Amino acid sequence: MTTPLISTAAVGHEFGPYDVTISSETANIYTKAIGGFESPDYGDAQPPLIMVAIALTKLIDELGIFSSGLQTIHAGQEVGWVRPVKIGEKIYAVGKLAGNSARGNNRFATVKVCYEDKTGTNVGSSSTTIIVTAEQP
Amino acid sequence: MIHSVGDKLSGFTRKITQERVNSYAEASGDHNPIHLNAAYAASTKFGTRIAHGMLSLALVTEMLAIDFPKTWHSGGNIKVRFSAPVIPGETVKIHGEITDITETDLGLIAICSIGCKKPDGTNAVVGQATVPLE
Repeated sequence: MTTPLISTAAVGHEFGPYDVTISSETANIYTKAIGGFESPDYGDAQPPLIMVAIALTKLIDELGIFSSGLQTIHAGQEVGWVRPVKIGEKIYAVGKLAGNSARGNNRFATVKVCYEDKTGTNVGSSSTTIIVTAEQP
Repeated sequence: MIHSVGDKLSGFTRKITQERVNSYAEASGDHNPIHLNAAYAASTKFGTRIAHGMLSLALVTEMLAIDFPKTWHSGGNIKVRFSAPVIPGETVKIHGEITDITETDLGLIAICSIGCKKPDGTNAVVGQATVPLE
C-alpha cells in the first residue's frame, strides 16, 4: 500500500491552489442538500460554506487518506469571511499544513486555507482539524 | 433585528435524511463511504452511515445568515468542534445566543454561542461565532 502524504508531510507543506469556483448547478445541489423553508435567500451569492467543503474534499484527496484505506474524523473547523462570493466567481483555495502529529494509532492534522479571487485578494479563510485513524472495514 | 446580550438567534430544526447526505456528497465531492455505503459504514465504529460534519455546520451558518444577513458574509467568523456524528433520519436542532457584544476598531462585534444538537440533546456541533453588527 502506498504511503499517504499525511504520514510524511511536514508542517508548512502547501496544497493547491485548488479551483473552488462554484457553478450554479453545484450551488443548487448544495442548497437542496442543506435547505429548508427557513433558509436565507443568498441572491447571486453562493452559500458561504460550500467553498470550504469542496476545498476540504480536495485536501483529503491530496493527503491520500481514503486511497490508503485510512479513515478520518472531522474534529474542528474555523471559517472567516471578508466578503460574499458570487456563484460562478473564480476562486482559488491555497492550503498549508499547520499541524501534523501522531498520537497512538491516530494522527492529528490541521490545514489552514486561504481563499483568493482572480486578483489574488483574500475573500476568506478556514482551518480544518482532522483525526486520521487506521480504521479499515 | 437582534442586538442584545442574551438574545436567542433564530434557530430551527431540520431532519437530516440520507437523501440530503447523498446530495451533499454530490455537491461537495466528498464520497467517503462512511456517509454513503451502508455495508461499509456498518463495519466502522459508528455502525451506520453518518452525515458529513460540514452538512451540520452548514445549517448553523444558515442561522447566522438569517440573523446577520448583511454582515455574516463580510467579517463573520466561526470556530467549532464536531462532538458527535449525526445519523441520517435524525432531526437536529440548530441554536445560538448572543453571549457578548464588544467594541473593536471595526465597530461592534456580537459574540455568539452556536451549535447543532442531536435529538437526545447531545451536541453534534458546538462553538462560537463572531459577527459584526450593522
